[in-house]
This record gives sequence, structure tokens and C-alpha cells, in this order.
Amino acid sequence: MSKPTQTPLGRTARLLDLVPFLATHQGIELKALSENFEVTDAQMVADLTTLWMCGLPGYTPLELMDLSFESGFVTIHNAETLSHPRALSDEEIIALLLGLDVVIASLPSDRSDLKLIALDLVERLSTRSSIPSKMSAVPATPGSVRAIIESSLLEKRAMEILYHSSYSDEISRRVVTPIELREENGFEYLWGVCQSAHALRSFRLDRIQEAASKSNVAEAIPALTNDQSHGISYTIHAHSRPREVIERFAIDKEEFTEKARVVSFSHEWIKRSVLASAGSAEVVEPATIRSEIRSSAQLILDRYETN
Amino acid sequence: MSRKIERLINLTIALLATKRYLTKSEIFRSVEGYEGSEETKERMFERDKDDLRNLGVAIEVGSFDPVFEDEAGYRIKPEKYSLDLGEISGVQIALLSLAAEAWRGAALDTSAHSALTKLRSVGVESDLDALPAIAPRFNAAHKDFQIITSAISKRARISFTYVSPTLELQLRTIEPYAIATKASFWYLAGNDLEKSELRTFRLDRIDGDISISKDLQKYEIPNGFDLFSQFENQELVGIATVDVRKGKAQLLRTHALSTVDMGEWDRITTSYISSQRFIELVLWHGDDALIIEPQDLRKEIVAKLTEIVAHHV
Repeated sequence: MSKPTQTPLGRTARLLDLVPFLATHQGIELKALSENFEVTDAQMVADLTTLWMCGLPGYTPLELMDLSFESGFVTIHNAETLSHPRALSDEEIIALLLGLDVVIASLPSDRSDLKLIALDLVERLSTRSSIPSKMSAVPATPGSVRAIIESSLLEKRAMEILYHSSYSDEISRRVVTPIELREENGFEYLWGVCQSAHALRSFRLDRIQEAASKSNVAEAIPALTNDQSHGISYTIHAHSRPREVIERFAIDKEEFTEKARVVSFSHEWIKRSVLASAGSAEVVEPATIRSEIRSSAQLILDRYETN
Repeated sequence: MSRKIERLINLTIALLATKRYLTKSEIFRSVEGYEGSEETKERMFERDKDDLRNLGVAIEVGSFDPVFEDEAGYRIKPEKYSLDLGEISGVQIALLSLAAEAWRGAALDTSAHSALTKLRSVGVESDLDALPAIAPRFNAAHKDFQIITSAISKRARISFTYVSPTLELQLRTIEPYAIATKASFWYLAGNDLEKSELRTFRLDRIDGDISISKDLQKYEIPNGFDLFSQFENQELVGIATVDVRKGKAQLLRTHALSTVDMGEWDRITTSYISSQRFIELVLWHGDDALIIEPQDLRKEIVAKLTEIVAHHV
């Protein structure tokens, strides 16, 4: 986690930020200080030693900054000139503005007071940046849902979720013992044991509409019934818009020519995805899925003719 | 190396503390670390000034005596140097901390962390207890994400390879204006220099590295530019009437403008931006959704279905 900035400029920036931090954290433990600045203790001591040689012109003890850190606790005096934190850089402002956007989107609906405070901060930061364009973030997962998932994971507690399954097109309540969060293809998934199915399942985070922690009792991970459906292997042929096809079917771009072999876990998902590709994708095999798709599309066509 | 750092810090302190402009000779005389021939000192000072500017420290050049415009002077105005967000409360610090925390382990981790250090140095205790338990978080974007924000800050061009709809790899050079995220995807907008028009790119479709141009051909970002409102203006929004089976087609229902109960089915109206995307969404729902109006959408969806049947005969 430590990513020491060892270029002279990186170190200078750190030293400039160290002074105001120390001024407001007098007596901080050396270890805590190094952790905050993500450097080793030895690096921090080297930084403090350099700072100790700096001050106002004249450079007698009257003008030099007065640092003490031999005891393992750090104090600073005679450093008024540098004791105000530096202005935020444009890059720092971008990070905070995008961050505030997701904070705002995560606030519960009854906290409009906090929303107003956050919007005011957005305004203040924007006027202090030299960038005239707007940076905005609409989070995929409401932060309130994520907070419950994270605490359930941490405490290994079961939780009840309201989940919209896209491929069965149903919203259902499920009790899940969470195992871990994973990221796949840019989406976050919660892996856990679904207690209604007694099986390992993954839930895409942006499709969890509500979440609530269950009782305090730590529930053991239930035994898995071995129903974990085996992957269905099938071949996809892209007739047009190949980028859309590889993105939809999660095909590796490097391995793609015109056809690709893919594995999926659900018949239903394959069928829906091919229909939604609107003619740009064809299932070459297996024949069963091909004919399912054909009859499905034919059924809808017939409906358009009679309606 | 240490000596250079000391000199930069001492120069910052001297220029911050002074109430008037300091001339170069005053600086060489009083600030520790300027040694050697006049020429060496000059070169050192020029480099130091550039370095401090690169750190975002604004050095003002002026004349301390307007009558005799003989020698330029230098100073750093404390109000330009210091963080000033106005009166700030513990709740505000807590909100800003959460905003920075959202980047933990993600693309702008470094900028967010250094911002957080500055905020913690204001001397106002963060009042985290005043906030509900929320934990917003960004997903990983492109590995070179930070290059984009740095380019926007510096108004520098960037180049990258982009995957076209037909999977061709195209080299694009743009003047970046803004980044934004929606529904798990990150977008980058800017002026495409070859096409000379505004373009939007999805970060996950950038193949390989992003490089920042060294040549500092500055450009202007249009005032108030908003990537998402740009999207909305791209195409005319249409309204469609769709029959959806009871209890089904959740994704269509979430955007419904009106719903009429028709027994086994509900008739909803919904707006759409792109007819292509809308047809894909309706097709995803199989025989649970049927477009009633407009007629041209119906014709289009019938054509697509005919194509699907033909592919799978």
C-alpha cells in the first residue's frame, strides 16, 4: 500500500503538506504519521530531518522550524508561515467533486439537509477549480445498499435482499450469506450462499434494490446442494456490430474473429441476449438453443401480425 | 537531493513570508542554498520556479517599485497558496472525507488521499457520527485514468487506441474536456482533433495505454460543459406505447410514464432516446413486451425479428 513518492518534487510536496498536518496533530505518533503519508518510518524520519533544516531567511534557531520526534511522538513549532494547508489542485478537486456526487446519490431520502450541505460543497469546490466543465458521477450501486453489504460481509452476517434478476425478469426477496465482492467486466458482484436455493449464487450489485442485515446470530454457511448448474458452451457468430456482440457476450477481443466459443450459465440468458442483439448475433450451436431462439422470435413475430 | 528539497522549501517560506516583492539578488543573498557563479544561481532559480509552479504553488512576478521598473520581484500570495473553502464545519469535513474515501483502491486514489490530508490539516474535527452509514465506492476504470484528469488539469492533448464498432483499432487524439460515470461505465468527452468535433468515449473501449502530449498546445474547455446533457441532446426523444405482461418486463416498467391495467397485460408509455437501444430492450423481454406505437418502431422490430428467425433456420 505504501507508494513512496521519491522524486524531489514529490518529496517537496509531501514536506509542504506535512507542516500543516503536524500543526493540527501535535504529538502524533511517528508510526501513525508515516501511515497517513503512506511512507515507511525511516522515510518519515528523513523527511522530518530535512524539514528541521528549513525556515525563514537568517536560519538561526530563531528562524528555523522547531521539530521534535526522537521520543516517537512528533511536534512542530515556529512554523507559522507554512502552517496553512495548501490549496487543492485541480486533480484533487476532480476527485472530490466526483466523490461528492456519489455521496449525494447515496444519502437516504430523508437526509435532504445533508444533501444541501454537500451541494454547497460542490459549488465551493467548482468555483475554486480552473476547470470550467462539469464532472459528474451517477453510481451504479446506492451507497446505503453497499454499506449494509459491507458490514454484513465484515460481520459474516446473513442479509435479506430485494433482487432484480435480469434474466428471469423477476424481483424476489432472498436471504443471502455473503462471501465476497468481486469485480467482473466492470460490474461488481456479491458472491454468497442463497439460502432459498441452498447454492452459491452471484448477485450484480446494481440490481440489488434493497438490503437489510438479518439477526445478530452468526449463521453458518449452509451446506450447498450441488445444483450449481454446469456451464453451457455455445458458439456465437457476429453478423454485424461486432463490438456490441463481444461486449454483450463477454468475448475476449483478442480471441475473436467472427465466431467465438462462449460459456454461460443460463439458457434463459443466452436466449434473451441473442434476441436483444437484434439480428447481429447468431447462435451457431447447440442446435437446441438455435431452435429455441427461432421459435421464440417466430412467436413474437406472429403476435405482431395479429395485434 | 535533500539539498534541493531544502532549497525549495526555504524559497517557498521566504516568498510566502515577504510582504513585498523580493528581487532575485535579495533571494540569492538571503535564501539558503543558492551557491556558485551568478549563472549557476540564475539557472537554479529558474528551475526552482518551474518546479514550484508544477506543484501548484503560484509565484507572482511584479515590480516592488512601480517608478523604477528596473528589476522584477517575486512573491507567493498566502491567499493563493492556502486552502480556502470558507467557513467549514465538522459535518462538511466528514462529507468531503467520504467523497475522498470513495476512491480507495480506485483510479484517483492518490489525488483523493492528498486532498484528504489537506482537509485533515484544516484543524476541524471530522464529524463522521453525523452521517448515516453509507459507503459510496468507485469501481476500477481504465488503468491510465489519472492521466486523463491530469491532462484535463493541464489542458494537454491525449492519444489512445479506441475500439470502433467494427472492432477496428483507431488511433484517436483528443483535447479532453470532462470525465463522468453512469451505470458502471466511465465516459470521456473531448474535441477529437482528426474529426474536429466533440466525441464521447467509453473508457473500457480504450485499448492499451493513454499517452499525454508533451507539446503544451493549450486549448479551452467550453464553459459549463456537461458530458451527460451532451448525450441527451444527441437524439430526439420519442414516446412509445408498449404492452407488457403483468409482473414482467421490470426494466421497461421502471421508466414508464403511465400505466393502464388491461387484465393480463399492462399498457405503458415510456420515452426513449435511441430507437436501436429501445428495440434491444424490448427484445430482451421476449414475448412479455409488445410495441403498440409508433408504427415505425413496430416495423423496425418486425424486421429485426425476421432477421433473427432467418439466422436461426
